[in-house]
Amino acid sequence: MARIVVDPITRIEGHLRIEAEINNGKIEEAYSSGTMVRLIEEILRGRDPRDAWAFVGRVCGVCTTVHSLASIRAVEDALKIVVPPNAELVRNLMFCAQNIHDHVVHFYHLHALDWVDVVSALKADPKKTSEIAQSISHWPKSSPGYFSDLQKRLTKFVESGQLGIFANGYWGHPAYKLPAEINLIGVAHYLEALEWQKEIVKVHTIFGGKKPHPNFLVGGMACSISLDDSSGINAERLAYVHQLLKQAKEFVEQVYIPDLLAIAPYYLDWGAIGGGLGNYLVYGDLSTSSYTDTQNYKFPAGAILNKDLSKIHEVDLRNDSEVQEFIPHSWYEYAGGDGVGLHPWKGETKLNYTGPKPPFDHLNVEEKYSFLKTPRWKGNAMEVGPLARVLVGYASGREDFKEVVDSTLSKLNVPATALFSTLGRTAARGLETILVSQWALEFYDQLIGNIKSGDTRMANMEKFKPETWPASAMGVGHTEAPRGALAHWIDIEDQKIKNYQLVVPSTWNASPRDLEGKPSAYESALKDTPIADINKPVEILRTIHSFDPCLACAVHLYDEDGKHVNKVQVL
Amino acid sequence: MTSSPVLILGIGNYLMGDEGLGVHFVNQLKEEVEPGLADFLDGGTAGFQLMEYLESYPNIIMIDATLDGKPAGTIQKVKPRFSKDFPSAMSTHEIGLKDLVEGLLLLGKMPDIHLFIMSIEKIQPLSTLLSPEIEITLPKLKREVIELARHLSSHASQPA
Repeated sequence: MARIVVDPITRIEGHLRIEAEINNGKIEEAYSSGTMVRLIEEILRGRDPRDAWAFVGRVCGVCTTVHSLASIRAVEDALKIVVPPNAELVRNLMFCAQNIHDHVVHFYHLHALDWVDVVSALKADPKKTSEIAQSISHWPKSSPGYFSDLQKRLTKFVESGQLGIFANGYWGHPAYKLPAEINLIGVAHYLEALEWQKEIVKVHTIFGGKKPHPNFLVGGMACSISLDDSSGINAERLAYVHQLLKQAKEFVEQVYIPDLLAIAPYYLDWGAIGGGLGNYLVYGDLSTSSYTDTQNYKFPAGAILNKDLSKIHEVDLRNDSEVQEFIPHSWYEYAGGDGVGLHPWKGETKLNYTGPKPPFDHLNVEEKYSFLKTPRWKGNAMEVGPLARVLVGYASGREDFKEVVDSTLSKLNVPATALFSTLGRTAARGLETILVSQWALEFYDQLIGNIKSGDTRMANMEKFKPETWPASAMGVGHTEAPRGALAHWIDIEDQKIKNYQLVVPSTWNASPRDLEGKPSAYESALKDTPIADINKPVEILRTIHSFDPCLACAVHLYDEDGKHVNKVQVL
Repeated sequence: MTSSPVLILGIGNYLMGDEGLGVHFVNQLKEEVEPGLADFLDGGTAGFQLMEYLESYPNIIMIDATLDGKPAGTIQKVKPRFSKDFPSAMSTHEIGLKDLVEGLLLLGKMPDIHLFIMSIEKIQPLSTLLSPEIEITLPKLKREVIELARHLSSHASQPA
């Protein structure tokens, strides 16, 4: 048996390490470890609850807006602040812009390289590439000259040997199955997506005042809006937002989705690999009325157990027997010992590192092995993210979800069970991006309608002053981050934060085993994954990247004796 | 939106002690210098979201922390042309930015980047404050950055 260690350094925060035991060419057991600690909870203790959004927005460079959003909602929930409809809509638009941006960037700049062989693109025939591109989409940049010019530029860079993207990766690995022409389309759109992504984030700059790290406000949003306001957000700025949203939808429909559907047929075997838990959890978001009106969520809330799409379970974030965090394999200690699970309102964050002193070869997975706690919903390990959202929407019988899911299954000619897989996870991310880019335009129209009818309220400041607050208050705020269900729980006492707990999507997905030894989503999804070449475990990357783990990986490889044999930087 | 040909860009995580020195640096410096010297940006931990800024300015002065084993407060100036020229032990947000730099190269849109890196001893995960060793060397870094910004501004205003 061989043990492979994938010790990725992160794209922005934290470290994630995967250790996998391989037997007869398959992963027998996998262990996921968060090897870096941030302790945002400790930074927040004693601070003004109205400032928490600014600190949590710094937890991550990609997900800043969703953390800030969950934070202000937690405070508003605790203080019973009702947010004006315009602020709800602006928050929804920020959500949509973040979601679309994140998914496109994830697909082209992290995940596509697991499927698209960049070096093979150099061998493509530009004329044939153009024919394929024009057969899958009306996207205008598709002439033979366009692809031929790009190819010349790429060749120059490859020859210079200066670019990591061409030097690294597993180019030439037999697991790469695409024809050279589709690889070239993938590389072309890698670059186009890079240009495109800077546009959609302008929605955050307009409504949040600045980027990165836009402004949020407890009680509403920190922007003034009216059609003829010369300094605030006026008709001209709003028209610009409209244009950005339309462009985003166009890019998703004409580039992202056609590429996804062109690549998928070569990897249909991945529709039966990497499924994992079969339990899915969604808190829901994007209400057409108010965040507190959960019945009107575009992303319906709910839980699915054992892949049973006939039953959606209700989820209650306030019920202390539903969401609980455990620490039998986490470097923390609870006053009540390792045997208990704590609801986040009663959550404790006391570090107790008992792992090996770095650098080390292997973690002792029988003991504690991660800085992530292990969250469970009613005792169940749950997967969160786009696949969970699409499945809950689909199982709820929502027409918009059914349409995109059924049409994709039929185009690829695969059964619905293919959704429970690495391919399903990657496809679901694309499908929800179609929906989100459509919904964004609906929210935009709603916002314009409100403003035209004379409602320009953007914040409710009635309870902004701490004098108006009760002596103590508890709240929870949730959203759906690009990577999945996100909630912040806050306990306010004497106008200060007494306790603050975040349970983030990657904690659900990447956490270590629980009291009963049950694996979490990553660990479960990797089980039984075939590994063709243990020195180049691209298969592990495919499944882990399908969760959008918010990190890039440096892969350290070990031979059977656990000796370090190689190190490959993976994009 | 740009008022100067020079952008002074601090990157780092404000929640991680010395790792966030770039952010502390720009927030301090923009209050201290003459108006019009440069534009300032707290880049936080962002990667790709910085693209618009990198495309909008011909000259970027970037400030970041590095864990390179040198004594805390050591200042180095680098002129990175490729992403691999960024120090390998640069702080934890390096990857997004490196990917962005590679993309800009491929697109032929790479600006002129002057990177100042200051060595730190370790990342302190619990603090929004800088350690005394770093705090004490910030004035020196400020003098160097101001001097370079003045040079770049005057150079940029001359006809090519």
